[in-house]
Amino acid sequence: MNQSQTRRGFLTRASGGFGAVALAGLCSELQAAADNPLAPRSGHHLAKADRVIFLYSTGGTSHIDTFNHRPQLIADHGKSITASRWLNKSGEFNRFLIKPRYAFKQYGQSGTWVSDLFPHVGSVIDDVCVLNAMHCESDGHDKATLAAHTGSAQFARPSAGSWVSYGLGTVNQNLPSFVVLAPAAPYAGAQTWSSDFLPACHQGTHVMPGTEPLPNIRPRNANTELQQMELALQRRLNQSHLAQRAADQLLDARIRSFETAFGMQRESPEAFDLSQETDDTLRLYGMERGATSGFGWQCLVARRLAERGVRFQELIDVGSSGNWDSHGNMSDHERLAKAIDKPIAGLLTDLKQRGMLDRTLVVWTTEFGRTPFHQQADHAGREHHNLCFSSWMAGGGVKGGIVHGQSDEYGILTSEDAVHTHDLHATMLHLLGIDHERLTFRHAGRDFRLTDVHGRVVREIIS
Amino acid sequence: MKYVMSKFVRMTRPRVMTRVTLCMLLITSVCRAESDDDFFEARVRPLLVKHCLECHGEKKQEGGLRLDSRDAWMRGGDRGETIIAGEPDKSLLIQAVRHDDPDLQMPPDNKKLTAAEIADLEAWIQRGAADPRRESAAAISERMSLEQSRAFWSFQPLETVVPPQDAADHWSRNAIDAFVLAELKKHALSPVADADRRTLIRRATFDLTGLPPTPDEIDAFLRDESTDAFDAVVNRLLKSPAYGERWGRHWLDIARYADTAGDGADYPVREAGKYRNWVIEAFNRDQPFNEFVRDQIAGDILALEGPAEEYADRVTATGFLAIGKRYGYKASPDYQYLDFGDAIDSVGRSLLGLSLGCARCHDHKYDPVSAADYYALYGIMESTQWAFPGGEEQKRPAHFPPLVPPDEVARREKAKAEELACLDNEIAALKRKRSELDPDSQTGGVDLGFEAQQSGKPPDKPWFSAGSIEVTAAAQSPFDHIHPQGKLGVRLGSAQPNDGLRYVFENGLRAAPDKQMHFTIDFRAVDANEKGAFRLYVGRGVVESLAVECSVTATEFVIRNGSNWEVIRQLTPGTWYTLQLTIDPAAKTYSGIIGTQDDLTVFQDKQTGPNWDGVIDCFICDGIGHIAGAACARDLDNLGLRETAFGAPDSGPVAPRTMEPDAQQRMVAFDVEIKTLAERRQAVSTELSYPVAYGVAEGSPTNSRLQLRGEPHRLSDEVLRRNLEVLGGEVVPAGSGSGRLELANWITRPTNPLTARVFVNRVWQWHFGEGLVTTPSDFGSRGERPTHPELLDWLAGEFIASGWSVKSLHRLIMNSRTYQLASIDDEGNLAADPGNRWHWRYSRRSLDAESIRDAMLAVSGRLDRNVPESHPFPAVETWAFTIHSPFHAVYDSNHRSVYLMVQRNRRHPYLALFDAADPNQSIAMRQPTTTPTQALFLMNSPFVHEASDGFARRVVSVSGDDHAKMRWAFETVHGQVPEDAVLRDAIAFVSAYREKLAGNEAIGEKDIAAWSALARVLLTSNAFLYVD
Repeated sequence: MNQSQTRRGFLTRASGGFGAVALAGLCSELQAAADNPLAPRSGHHLAKADRVIFLYSTGGTSHIDTFNHRPQLIADHGKSITASRWLNKSGEFNRFLIKPRYAFKQYGQSGTWVSDLFPHVGSVIDDVCVLNAMHCESDGHDKATLAAHTGSAQFARPSAGSWVSYGLGTVNQNLPSFVVLAPAAPYAGAQTWSSDFLPACHQGTHVMPGTEPLPNIRPRNANTELQQMELALQRRLNQSHLAQRAADQLLDARIRSFETAFGMQRESPEAFDLSQETDDTLRLYGMERGATSGFGWQCLVARRLAERGVRFQELIDVGSSGNWDSHGNMSDHERLAKAIDKPIAGLLTDLKQRGMLDRTLVVWTTEFGRTPFHQQADHAGREHHNLCFSSWMAGGGVKGGIVHGQSDEYGILTSEDAVHTHDLHATMLHLLGIDHERLTFRHAGRDFRLTDVHGRVVREIIS
Repeated sequence: MKYVMSKFVRMTRPRVMTRVTLCMLLITSVCRAESDDDFFEARVRPLLVKHCLECHGEKKQEGGLRLDSRDAWMRGGDRGETIIAGEPDKSLLIQAVRHDDPDLQMPPDNKKLTAAEIADLEAWIQRGAADPRRESAAAISERMSLEQSRAFWSFQPLETVVPPQDAADHWSRNAIDAFVLAELKKHALSPVADADRRTLIRRATFDLTGLPPTPDEIDAFLRDESTDAFDAVVNRLLKSPAYGERWGRHWLDIARYADTAGDGADYPVREAGKYRNWVIEAFNRDQPFNEFVRDQIAGDILALEGPAEEYADRVTATGFLAIGKRYGYKASPDYQYLDFGDAIDSVGRSLLGLSLGCARCHDHKYDPVSAADYYALYGIMESTQWAFPGGEEQKRPAHFPPLVPPDEVARREKAKAEELACLDNEIAALKRKRSELDPDSQTGGVDLGFEAQQSGKPPDKPWFSAGSIEVTAAAQSPFDHIHPQGKLGVRLGSAQPNDGLRYVFENGLRAAPDKQMHFTIDFRAVDANEKGAFRLYVGRGVVESLAVECSVTATEFVIRNGSNWEVIRQLTPGTWYTLQLTIDPAAKTYSGIIGTQDDLTVFQDKQTGPNWDGVIDCFICDGIGHIAGAACARDLDNLGLRETAFGAPDSGPVAPRTMEPDAQQRMVAFDVEIKTLAERRQAVSTELSYPVAYGVAEGSPTNSRLQLRGEPHRLSDEVLRRNLEVLGGEVVPAGSGSGRLELANWITRPTNPLTARVFVNRVWQWHFGEGLVTTPSDFGSRGERPTHPELLDWLAGEFIASGWSVKSLHRLIMNSRTYQLASIDDEGNLAADPGNRWHWRYSRRSLDAESIRDAMLAVSGRLDRNVPESHPFPAVETWAFTIHSPFHAVYDSNHRSVYLMVQRNRRHPYLALFDAADPNQSIAMRQPTTTPTQALFLMNSPFVHEASDGFARRVVSVSGDDHAKMRWAFETVHGQVPEDAVLRDAIAFVSAYREKLAGNEAIGEKDIAAWSALARVLLTSNAFLYVD
């Protein structure tokens, strides 16, 4: 009965009332759908995208060294300004402007500026909508990471992927609805993909690159005939158990979960098996044959899982250490960009070639940007900067080859078309056909949303 | 926080002001003819609608402000009055739209109004701010007033309820049934048959202990023909320690229990387990629930009343407050407002069924809880000393309350201080003895160990250096009248004034009657490239008490005489000089010589630093001398400080020191002994002399100020520490401490309508799967109403009358016929009440995470029923966790699952998979899910395979044929023996499986493998995973 509680928030709207569904033997299809919180559902309006691939660079990627080209910053390099905040403290700080370490070029028909850190992303920039006036509240890793994932910087809340899974379910019951491909956890750990108060089936399934990406996916006995014998007996016992308890859908759901698990056991190794990919494809992602890790592996697996209907995927680029947090030396960005530039471009190209980009929303973001200024005029690093940073979106109903949002001449503050993290979330949901104000869940006495009481759909970037 | 480059502000502000003033003049002169209302309608209303009401209207009230009616803006927002009629310049609204204040710019994000629009608003206010819009009844908050709350069911006092009397009722066994039956009748439902005995004992055993009944226990119950057979089962189960492990776990869900702190670095909390064990014990000894609650809120204060043997338990109980998710990096109030928020919200939800956390930023939207109520409790939390678990900025735990009374703490602290003093004396005595063998070592010895340093590196401890400094052969002094010619000196490069070298003498010299102090050093300027001076300082501490100070450039030697610099002589760059000082502490004067062997300058009767306190224990050479600028690079060597005079520069070379033959050996022996004692001292000083808990203690009583919008830096008025208004509003009396004791009493007094209702409802829920109120932590207006309000009140009354005995409540509920109903289907009932809200049957439940794991361990014979020692956390001395590398561990064990290490930020993979409580917040009800990833765990995890293997080994040792073994296997796992056809099918499976096994393993191993496969079938089938 708890099940009905948990799904009430959305289902009463999505399927016209759960009470009717619970009546035994009325409509088996609907029943199955209601009984399975992961059954595919449509949203509130016509969707432009069917799935999301969310790319997350941990640590805070510098906006002024990647996608926000600020010529005045180069011209005024070394000049001093007065900053009113520094390292999370208010006051008047005399700071020196520091030009980007990397040169910018214009790419594609659109002539979008991209720095030398991302030449491959530059080559597909006509499919990308760059957001150059992103901002969020926190300049701490933990809080900003949680905000980027859950909409809340302070409290434990469900992840965006969990909300999407809760709202839309998933088309392939042999694979999880929400997959996190991550070699290591970002800041705030698994809370970033937690379903929190949403039913746990919406929690991200953490896939560690490696030889066993999904835990317990391999039968412990190579002889699958033996396992099939076991499952057959289990099914016979369950059926006779069910015969006297016919009205209990949970028992039936459990029986089916073994069927699905068996399906996953069969299907998911194949989903993660890259041996059938051609050399050309591997090259596109900058991958070596046989590799079972690296961002190229994550991106290629993401394409395969997208093909197989996984609703929401998050790809975490490096974890909470050795990441984009270049306090000491911005030259670290070079190594980090090199690791993801080609794989990302490969993913966009591959999705496009296969006609999937139209219906796949690809998002790249990070917790915040980095300060365009520093304490010393010749400092090699940059500090956290949450007041203005860059992200981008591609495919899935987003206009390609545009730049949305402007910052001031130095990239310190947003000046035009600012997009808050909440707005990014609202837009993602909108493209999936979900009204972010109507996707709610009753918990602790109130209806919660991914966007809390905020969020604006950035309609300007929707094609 | 608004972030504004002041540069921009300075540029824009004057320009805007000018434009605004100009326009205002223009417009006011034009518009005078319009009526005030017309002016509002024409110019102000559209402007407000377009730019303001989205955030300051019905939907949102940013900053607590609404601008959609005159009444609303008259009330103002968080910042106070918004519009002062007739005074545009003083009106906050105008300041905001002008963007004068970088922290208050409306509309935000570069959506500034045009100058004409701003001028309209100014003119409107200037003319008196006429506004015909009045607040509609609907716009007024939906919040329940205190007045209304008196009529709301959950805030009404508990009334004595008489159970329904129905002469025709032959069904009911106790009062519970009478209440239930009355509702069943009302809804035209009829109860199904009673559960059979096998079902009942399995239900009761899992319910009370989280474990399955053994075949022997089932058998005993089946054979017991007495009328109170089930009573006996319930009593046996309530006496089992497994009862507390099961029901304690329920409470730990509510208490948001975890073994880690939950900040970004997720520090382990070694003492968390003490609170967990206390909870388990409290259930086992049936501690009255009101005391259980009082101890958790104010146990540390109650403990002082005695008895002494309960002291530790009561302090441990306050872990309930401390155990929540922590947000801070260090033990500082700046970080604690969220910790307090968690504690207040947890107290509200877990004990009162009120979402108090909602009142942090504003008055509760629906329930009669104001922000003032919240900050009244906040003051109580702020007046409390909280154990700090360790965090990124302060990596060691602090303020853990002692588990022994204050006088005992004082006694042990004193004993510890004495032990430390004793050790200090021993160490000092040993050092003295050692220095007798080597008199120079008293103050580090002449040359201060340069010869033992590593060439090419800065000098190692006890030296301290900053800047470019290295020990080098090039800096060896040519003088050998004090110290035999060595091979190494130290070279200081030219650098910043504060760079330099420091030596702290382990045993400095103190002024003593008739004793002088002698200091010597050799030095030279390496080159004459820099003109600034370097300084030679001797005195106490890092220039804390200056004795003598010399300042040296490449060409000049200067000393400080009293407060004046005095030039003593000229120097030649590159030449080595030797300096000797003789200091007379009594007279506060000094004399000295400086020069080379054949060119010595003598100076006498100079004044030491006027404030010198007679101690020399520190030498410094840095770049702060009498001439500013970078100091020249210089070499230093042959430093010495002692009470006996040094030889004169012309006294000829000293021979290498010869010591008594065994002196070296004896010194080494002393060194070993000193090291041992020093380590012991270190251990004693860091080790706590008493056990501690992760809990709270009394701090300094203080009232808190209300925080606007929940932002700790936007403070409003002070709020007295007091009870929630809806529960009485009594103020904490002056002089009574934090107020936690009062809070504990307010919560648990029988007149509080919420506490007993909320708890009996939880117990009902834990027995039946769902409460009489289905929102167990929300008894407010947004929560569900009770299905059986009289039953709820009757249970609460009985509970209080029994002395808040939880075990009595179990007996009462479990002896009801309602509890003992079968969980079978019934078409009519199902159609009318598919959710079983009216209890026409017992609702089937899935086993929770702990029960699945514990039952598997139990049937496999591998369950360890002992209470485990604390978790094998890394040693506290090694803790260096940060958000970049947080603590993370999963510890395997065969103990009951309640004892698994519960990590807050990265959940235990098994507990997370099977929907155990998320420790980030108080969990009223777990949300069980059925997922394929769970099925994969059941099919393929090593845990299930090992448990099955253990179970198979037990099966094969059961005496009798396969049929007997099979009966035992089913009965052990499912509590039932199936019909023969099923048994035969299962036996055939075991044989067929055995046949299929390839290879040439021993028959015995094949047997185990086959029974193991059967065990997997039984342990993953629904008859195991669900309880009827």
